[in-house]
Amino acid sequence: MGMHIAHIMASCMGGIRTSGDLVAWMQMTRKMRIHEAKAYVAEKLGVGIIDLTDEEIMRDIRKNLGIGTVTSIAGGPKGIRAKCKIADLLGINIRSVSLFKSQMGFPG
Amino acid sequence: MSTEIFESAADAILKGDSDKAVETAKKGLGEGLDPVMLINEGFIPGINKVGDMFGSGKLFLPELILAAAAMQNATDIINEAIPEGEGQSRGRFLIGTVEGDVHDIGKTIVVSLMKANGFEVMDLGRDVSTDRFIEAADKFNADIIGTSALLTTTMEGQRRLEVELKKAGLKERFKTMVGGAPVTQRWAKRIGADAFAENASEAVKLAKALLETA
Amino acid sequence: MSNDIVTRMGDGERVQLSAGEIREDIQTGTADAAQRAGVPELTAQEQERLFDIISDPSRIVSVNPGEEVIVTDDGCSMSFYSGQDGAGVGVPLSRMQAVLTYERACGADTTSLGHSDYSYKPVKPIINFEANDYYNTSMMTTAPFFYGAQPNLGLYFQPDGPCPNAAELMPMGKIDEARRAQEEAAGHLAKDLVFVGSRLADVGLEGLNFDTSGSAGDADFMAALQAVAELKRKVPDLPILMGASGEFVLGMHGEVEYEGTRLAGLYPQGQVKVIETAGADIAGVAINTATTESLPWNLSRAVTFVKAASGASNIPVHANVGMGVCGIPMMEQPPIDSVTRVSKALVQLGKADGL
Repeated sequence: MGMHIAHIMASCMGGIRTSGDLVAWMQMTRKMRIHEAKAYVAEKLGVGIIDLTDEEIMRDIRKNLGIGTVTSIAGGPKGIRAKCKIADLLGINIRSVSLFKSQMGFPG
Repeated sequence: MSTEIFESAADAILKGDSDKAVETAKKGLGEGLDPVMLINEGFIPGINKVGDMFGSGKLFLPELILAAAAMQNATDIINEAIPEGEGQSRGRFLIGTVEGDVHDIGKTIVVSLMKANGFEVMDLGRDVSTDRFIEAADKFNADIIGTSALLTTTMEGQRRLEVELKKAGLKERFKTMVGGAPVTQRWAKRIGADAFAENASEAVKLAKALLETA
Repeated sequence: MSNDIVTRMGDGERVQLSAGEIREDIQTGTADAAQRAGVPELTAQEQERLFDIISDPSRIVSVNPGEEVIVTDDGCSMSFYSGQDGAGVGVPLSRMQAVLTYERACGADTTSLGHSDYSYKPVKPIINFEANDYYNTSMMTTAPFFYGAQPNLGLYFQPDGPCPNAAELMPMGKIDEARRAQEEAAGHLAKDLVFVGSRLADVGLEGLNFDTSGSAGDADFMAALQAVAELKRKVPDLPILMGASGEFVLGMHGEVEYEGTRLAGLYPQGQVKVIETAGADIAGVAINTATTESLPWNLSRAVTFVKAASGASNIPVHANVGMGVCGIPMMEQPPIDSVTRVSKALVQLGKADGL
């Protein structure tokens, strides 16, 4: 367990603390290499690549876009609700989101 | 001429060609070559090369098995030519995967290379209890007991063997060798095993060294 | 010569080496990898950068801001609640709690769920339980959420499975029979991988991980590749991460091919190409750590292999950095000084897209 945390501290983008989840989605859904994935996400967010792992910047962006923040804001979207917004923001298909939308009768 | 035969012997093993290995052994003996020299300078370098190539992914298990069989066939012929008492059996090697552990691929490779290098091998298979190791080693009159473990939790079986051997007053009778993915030199030292082998080729070298110093 | 740089052996033991000894290990490590895989050695400049990373006096090192990569995991959430067998810390959390803790407390880029056995075969009879847990948890997670396990061909041989045991047939010289048994087992394995992947896809699976593919040899690796291709045909939008199990594919069969490429003996730069051909979205590479060599030697070697794989690939390459892999010492609690050095070096010099 400690080993995973050490890797996260040493070289990980930081998940939903910053934009790691967003960049990971691009690797998974578009096979993007790391630099391409970061550039894509940075462009969608309107920030520089260096800002993608800056908690101070990403915190506000995530809160404003409703794509999930690491600290729990009462009423703030997380989970499938945040992922619906992430799929729209990045223009990608997230399979759990597609299923959720179809179950709810929302347009895909 | 002897150089040519040695090269032919090594080549036969490398190609896993039993017919050629046997033919070369007969030819070498027919030309009056010292049988021990024929093994040590012809066939052994061949099987060592096979081990190295297997260890670097340049040669695969089926080829290794064929090479081991060719080696066995050639050494059988050469051993017959060695006067009584000067035979080339390297020793008796007992091996098994420890209790609770069902992984046996690495062990299989060790068995093949050990046989190819002139050891008499008894393979107890996998999930072998400590008692069974000791009982079989006694009956087989093993020189070395080799144990394999692939899990950090089953490695304890290797420690148990050391403890039980000591309790039974048999630690001095058998050399012990440990291996397996999570097993390390430090683990071997900590539990009191005589050797740790990182891979099959290393196991052969260490087994030879253990018996030379015995 | 002063012995003033503290580093580790491959089994985790702390050792002090001189600068000269560390540089020599870096050189021989990269040379070993280059010679084995037929790839370039690290340049003198790269070796010197690696030396700087290893000899940094800080306990923990890291990449520079802006260089961070994606960290996928191999069943990490299980480590919260499992025991020693899963390198687990035994906290009494449910699976969902563990996944969410990993996502939110640790800031993981991706999370995952997996069966405790961490093989696909035992998932088959309990697929509905797994699908239910996966679906429920996926409604709660924000970061990409994988399902992962190992293909593990070994479970298809007797006495654990239906096929004759290849590991027993081979030493008896029954090579053809052993090969047939492996081919038959690979057929069962590929079918199970597709079954589990398809059923989870039905409940909105976000990503599937074939972790440690090829652990039972080339037929194991082939089955995973075939399953990737089949799943991509059936479920084209399913992201798949396929990771290898060693620096070369072990030739237990020796002759199986995938799309004309012989799999046995395939080194990372070749592994990523067949993974890419099969249609996977992310390729994982694993380099064995030699416990009797030093961290500088092991890490230099790992960086050389990973850099070559990354250079050859068109899809993201993630380096496996679990215990005993890619320079991480082989021990249950790998020391954090080593872990962070491996992390930094594989990203900065190995050009990994993720870990």
